Amino acid sequence: MAEVPLYAYILLSALMFAIGTAGVIIKRNPIIIFMCIELMLNAANLSFLAFAKYHTTPLATTPIEKWNAHMTGQMAVVFVMAVAAAEVAVGLGIIMAIFRLRHDVDIDEMSAMRG
Amino acid sequence: MEVQGFGVLSLLVFLPVAGALAASFVPRNLLGFHRWWALLISAFTLFASLQLYVGFSGNTFHFQWREGMDWLPALGIRYQLGVDGISLWLILLTSLISFLGIWFSFHVRERVKEFMIWLLILEGAMIGVFCALDLVLFYIFFEATLIPMYFLISIWGGKNRVYSSVKFFLFTFLGSIFMLVAIVALYFISKAATGEGTFDLIALQALAADGRLATGPIEMWLFAAFALAFAVKVPLFPVHTWLPDAHTEAPTAGSMILAAIMLKMGTYGFLRFAFPLFPDAAVQAAPFLMGLSVVGIIYGAIMAAVQEDWKRLVAYSSVSHLGFVMLGIFSLNHNGLTGGTLQAINHGISTGALFLLVGMVYERTHTRLFQDYGGLKRRMPMFATLFLLIMLSSVGLPSTNGFIGEFLAMLGAFQAGANANSAIPLWMPVLAGAGVVLAAVYLLWMFQKVFYGPIRNPVVNRLRDIRPWEQAVAWVFVVFVFWLGLYPKFFTDKMQTSLNAVRHQTLQPPGARPAWADVRTIDINANGDVVVVQRDDLNDLGRWTEVAVRTPSGHQPQRLAMRGGEE
Amino acid sequence: MEFITTPHAEHLPDPVFHWAWLILLAPIVGFLFQAALGRRIELALGKTAGRRLLGFAAVVPVAAGFILSVLLAVRLAGMDEHSRLVITSWFPWIDLQTLLVPFELRLDPLSLTMCLIVTGVGSLIHVYATGYMADDGDYSRFFTYFNLFIAFMLMLAMGNNLPLVFIGWEGVGLCSYLLIGYWYHDIENAKAANKAFIVNRIGDWGFALGIFLLYWVYASNQDLLPLGERRYLSFDVILPLAEQVLAGYGPLIVSVIPLLLFVGAVGKSAQWPLYLWLPDAMAGPTPVSALIHAATMVTAGVYLVARTHVFFELSTLSMAVVAGIGAFTALFAATVAFGQTDIKKVLAYSTVSQLGYMFLACGVGAFGAGMFHVTTHAFFKALLFLGSGAVIVAMSHNQDLRKYGNLRKYIPITCWTMLIGWLAIAGIPPFAGFWSKDEILASAFFSNLVQTPQILWFIGWVTAFLTAGYMTRMMMLTFYGNGERWRTAEAHAHADHSQEHFHADHGAQGEHDLAYFLTDDEVRAIEEEEHEHHHGLTPEHEPREVLPSMWVPLVALAALSLVGGAALSGLNPFAHLLGVHIPHLFEAWNHPSVGLSVLDEASAFRESIAIEWALIGASIGAAVLGIGLFARRYIKGLPESEAEPQGLQRLAGEQWLYDRTMVRLFVDAGGKFANAFYRIFDSGIIDGIFVNGSAKLVGAMGLLLRRSQTGSVRFYALAIAVGVVFALSYVIYTTTR
Repeated sequence: MAEVPLYAYILLSALMFAIGTAGVIIKRNPIIIFMCIELMLNAANLSFLAFAKYHTTPLATTPIEKWNAHMTGQMAVVFVMAVAAAEVAVGLGIIMAIFRLRHDVDIDEMSAMRG
Repeated sequence: MEVQGFGVLSLLVFLPVAGALAASFVPRNLLGFHRWWALLISAFTLFASLQLYVGFSGNTFHFQWREGMDWLPALGIRYQLGVDGISLWLILLTSLISFLGIWFSFHVRERVKEFMIWLLILEGAMIGVFCALDLVLFYIFFEATLIPMYFLISIWGGKNRVYSSVKFFLFTFLGSIFMLVAIVALYFISKAATGEGTFDLIALQALAADGRLATGPIEMWLFAAFALAFAVKVPLFPVHTWLPDAHTEAPTAGSMILAAIMLKMGTYGFLRFAFPLFPDAAVQAAPFLMGLSVVGIIYGAIMAAVQEDWKRLVAYSSVSHLGFVMLGIFSLNHNGLTGGTLQAINHGISTGALFLLVGMVYERTHTRLFQDYGGLKRRMPMFATLFLLIMLSSVGLPSTNGFIGEFLAMLGAFQAGANANSAIPLWMPVLAGAGVVLAAVYLLWMFQKVFYGPIRNPVVNRLRDIRPWEQAVAWVFVVFVFWLGLYPKFFTDKMQTSLNAVRHQTLQPPGARPAWADVRTIDINANGDVVVVQRDDLNDLGRWTEVAVRTPSGHQPQRLAMRGGEE
Repeated sequence: MEFITTPHAEHLPDPVFHWAWLILLAPIVGFLFQAALGRRIELALGKTAGRRLLGFAAVVPVAAGFILSVLLAVRLAGMDEHSRLVITSWFPWIDLQTLLVPFELRLDPLSLTMCLIVTGVGSLIHVYATGYMADDGDYSRFFTYFNLFIAFMLMLAMGNNLPLVFIGWEGVGLCSYLLIGYWYHDIENAKAANKAFIVNRIGDWGFALGIFLLYWVYASNQDLLPLGERRYLSFDVILPLAEQVLAGYGPLIVSVIPLLLFVGAVGKSAQWPLYLWLPDAMAGPTPVSALIHAATMVTAGVYLVARTHVFFELSTLSMAVVAGIGAFTALFAATVAFGQTDIKKVLAYSTVSQLGYMFLACGVGAFGAGMFHVTTHAFFKALLFLGSGAVIVAMSHNQDLRKYGNLRKYIPITCWTMLIGWLAIAGIPPFAGFWSKDEILASAFFSNLVQTPQILWFIGWVTAFLTAGYMTRMMMLTFYGNGERWRTAEAHAHADHSQEHFHADHGAQGEHDLAYFLTDDEVRAIEEEEHEHHHGLTPEHEPREVLPSMWVPLVALAALSLVGGAALSGLNPFAHLLGVHIPHLFEAWNHPSVGLSVLDEASAFRESIAIEWALIGASIGAAVLGIGLFARRYIKGLPESEAEPQGLQRLAGEQWLYDRTMVRLFVDAGGKFANAFYRIFDSGIIDGIFVNGSAKLVGAMGLLLRRSQTGSVRFYALAIAVGVVFALSYVIYTTTR
């Protein structure tokens, strides 16, 4: 099986990121915005993985060093996933709290922080 | 010669701070404890600072009581303290005024614990300002004084306290931000010159003494940045408007300390940092800054004359009096420098005392407006006498301290102005004399409005004379008024060598400037000869040997480079 | 302590001259005693006994000073004429590498002359004051100030350097301020006191600049001074070298030095244009007017000019200015005196005028004659003031000449002594004033320092005529005439002070805190005690002769006014005319300090006996004419037309509008300007526009930026996205270029 070229990963990642961004900007439902943010995070994850696979440092000569170089990108992905999970947990909590308070979660109505 | 680690000066700086820290653990309802504790701590600080005087030698301009250690070696920042003949008196003044201020603050009835804690922290920071020998350390102390003072004004101040405290903080902070930039620049300049960056004043001044620190427009800009920070503090016209607000609104102890000591940080800064580090720029800027001082003298006096608020009048009088300090310092001759430095101390005594006395009456009547007073002398004869004595020192009556300072400062300025090759115009000292006339105008008017005439206010009619312990505080000031006025030699003797050093550091060409870092040094002895002295024992600051004497005629080039005309 | 003497002295002077410090310290001790213990003694011993002790304690130091001064003067007179200078120094005051000002006293004929006047006339006035102030509420405060004044005046007279003289100079000004405002309950007195101090300070400004200039000149000429000499302001250093040092300077500096010193003298000695404070200074108790504002302090200017006469002699311009100002003031003040209705104001303007005379003498080079007039003037003007004080006491503290009349019947001793003073000031021989005035006029006539000295002589002559005139007016209105005018006087209404609006917040702790406030009972007690038993002058009033403690000094001063001038001058003018040689005692004594008399140097004087006779005749004539003319007008009492001064007399009384113009120009307009300046410039421009303006600018920018904080999350997201796009495009653009 021929390898998927790097540019394809990047293209897909960019597409996912753009869709996510558009969603965050356009949508009014916080749940969907969260999903879009997830999409953006995962776009970043995809890039990390792709670069981790293709892009090793020229300084890495021994196998263990090459392996380490691969691993750095994948480590970042694990962190991002953890952060994303935490963020969703907190975010959903906030949304629940707001919903209980106002029985409405329309993002445009939440402008209490206006300067 | 240098104590590694902590010595007496560290004790002076950190004893009040430690006292404040200890007091913070004591419950706030123990008013008596907090009052007496603060008084005890400041009394001990005062006592310890007297040791500085006892062990101080007036024969050398090098820093004494030095102590130091590396603090942030990676950045070239050292913890380094020391005193010379200029800062010695300011430290003594600080501990004295703080002690008296705390004593008088027994009047304070609300939030006593915090009040005393802030006063103690302020005392430590102020002493730190006057003995720090590292620019970063100095800057930290310089800014650290703002915080306690900010709280003193904004919590215990008068009606307009919030506006005044914010104005005070922002105004002075804005000025010193530029100084911070210049301090950082000095680090890089010293790094370029020697390969190793430093904030050490002594090392930086050694570079300046050889003309290797900063020259030309860079020196001018750096001087301007330092001068701005100090000018705001002094305050020079036109950056003075924070002063009347802050002084007026601050509680009595705050006004006393503000006037007596915090303003002196500005004049001290010029002498300690701006002149030795940027000598050529200082000489070039002298006529300009002297002009501002003269404007400030007249302007402050005129403004004082039209005030309807007792405390505000005293505040504006500070603008006028500090003008004399600057006038003397910038005349850059021996008379002027001595006069300016003495006047700085004098102003601390007399204006500090004026604020104290105004505060005593304000405690009782809660009004500062002249229209509410009149005939006070009938009910408070002892208070009137004390006020009169202090007022006369502020008027500059000969035989009081005010005269010595103003006389020498104006004499120096006149000398500088009268010399044909001087850049300082003669009209400046001549016009400054009008400030003395105007001082009589506004102070005597004040005295008349408050003390003379019939009693018109029922509250004044019921006033009792001040109590013995209040009299005691005021008498301390009166003693100093006449001590300084009749025997200033006691104070000038330990000051002259250091002032000579500043003068030569500023006026001599590069290479001939005395450096604090040198063991060989150029000085002027009592006969006016230029003397090269050699310190023969690094551990003994008092022992000096003259290794060469150059008589005036034998040393013409340097003498021509000096201004001032006493040679 | 160490001695320094003139180079001419062959051996060290007698250690008795150390006692000079005692002359100075005695009144200081008296001052401290009164200040510290005065009130307590009065409380402990009771009013009568306490005041007797305090009065005694006040007189003793001054009298002791007089005795010591006499002693030292005799010692000094016994020394060789050229070595009559002793300097005794104590400890350094200002001691810098560039200036040394020790506490040092100078004893020479001039300073001892001043000492004798100050302590001699001073102790007489102290005695008088113990009587005059006997019923005052604040006895010891008065003598506190009075003794302090003597101390400062002696410092002024004996100080051997300019800063020490300046201590005395401003110190006597301070005492003058305190004593003018002594009855401070009346705000007008306080204002008069302020005026005196402030106007004097203008003069002191000039004096101080003169000191600076002298310092600069001498400090720049170290090579002419003795080796290592740092006392650049001491008289024994600067006076002998004046000519030598100033030879290197142009006429500007040579003239400016004496002129600046003279500015100080003009302020202290109340010459035009700074005389304004002296008439107002009459607000003080009368002994103050006699001691400070007639006999001693105001003559300090003349003393200063005489002391530094070498600088004046180097510049003819400065001499002309001194003579001109003196002559003008003498004439001007004499005219103003005619318009006065207050007995003390007449004497005040008379003092200004006589001081002008003294400066006229100095300006023509007759410093000795000027000092001679200082001396005789101290006798007769102190007498006149003390006499007027006796009149004022006798008349229930009313000072209006228009309310007097026929008082010789009631207060004969006062009347007779004042008559002697009157004849003395008018210049009738053999009374004291004649000798000094005649000497001044003759010196002016023969002076060779001014181009046409006869003009100065003429002004002096006219002034002598006017002096006799207004003094006659005063005496006649007070003691003569049959109408006892107070009998028709109406009662004096008291002004009531309305309550004003107060900001005092006397709630909270204030009202009941006994540590700070008096109880109602205490307030009542104090107010009762304070209540002044001040009876106005009523038609039923019967004047009574004053106490012996007051009239004894009057008699003593009358004796001095009678024979003092003749004795001190050795009857010189007449003796000379008659071909007998009797030395002029005063001139002979003083000439080591102030130089030879003009008359001794003027050859014309020696040559023409006729001119001499004419001059003496003219000066007696002026006095007789003035007395005669005005006695005729006033002998019968107050002319109808003067019930309220009219026309020219009124204009003269208002100082030809000079005072009013000055007050309008500097006080009123200056105050308005300063107020407007404060509101517009300080509060408006600096604080308003620059300080608060910049704060407002930051605030306004904040307001503007605040609009972008919509609170909409999606807007923020869009902003971030757009920002990222821009940032990235910039990075890409710069890296790929």
